[in-house]
Amino acid sequence: MIGALVIVAYVAAAAVAVFGVVTTVLNRPPGRPHRLVVGAFEALLVVQAVIAAVRVFGGVSLPEQSTFLIYLLVSVCVMPIGLQFATAEPTRWGGTVIAVAAIGTGVAVWRIDELWAAGGV
Amino acid sequence: MSEAHPPRATASGAGRVLIAIYAIFALSATARAGVQIAGKFSEAPVAYLLSGLAAVVYILATIGLAGTKPWSRRLAWGAVGFELVGVIVVGLVTVLDSGDFPDDTVWSVFGRGYGFIPLVLPFVGLWWLRRTRSSG
Repeated sequence: MIGALVIVAYVAAAAVAVFGVVTTVLNRPPGRPHRLVVGAFEALLVVQAVIAAVRVFGGVSLPEQSTFLIYLLVSVCVMPIGLQFATAEPTRWGGTVIAVAAIGTGVAVWRIDELWAAGGV
Repeated sequence: MSEAHPPRATASGAGRVLIAIYAIFALSATARAGVQIAGKFSEAPVAYLLSGLAAVVYILATIGLAGTKPWSRRLAWGAVGFELVGVIVVGLVTVLDSGDFPDDTVWSVFGRGYGFIPLVLPFVGLWWLRRTRSSG
């Protein structure tokens, strides 16, 4: 993938996780700030997934292509579902739900990075 | 003075964080088992079937904890209890004799590949179920 974009994705995942936990500590239920933060992170993930998918379908071959594509799909699906679940019951814990989703997404990005590197691209 | 309290919803407050963690494990265990069973089942059928079983257990625990039906709580107790037994049995077997498990599952070596979260999670789950049950 693009090395810089993966690093930005890691930093963003960590930032979203910290943001979520902080809002729980401050007793803020999820609202507009959460939607904006998650939206920005999600946009980044979609850009990354589109670039990776285009390159895979454009001829780059990876040793575990299907696993790679599954992780790519997971990386863009978790945050919207997490945000939905967090806002469905607006308590302080919504922020931590978003943090858990961001950490899970970060792990997916890490696996994507690893599988991409295994392809020696 | 102890009044009788009805059970609290398991999917409320901090319980939603627990459900989010279970959901992520359900997703990752299902994806992992799917790839293992579809792609290379013959290499280690026992380990891959176990991966599939763990995935089902996480899915059932997520449904049980997130649900509000009368059977949701019973399903959660069953699934989380099974998860605890599973992670301990598989953890012990893999530590004592790794030969039977040529490929890792979620529960191998007490969930080492997942930061030991699979070992901690069932204890938290059981504690939460106990905490939210009816009392009085």
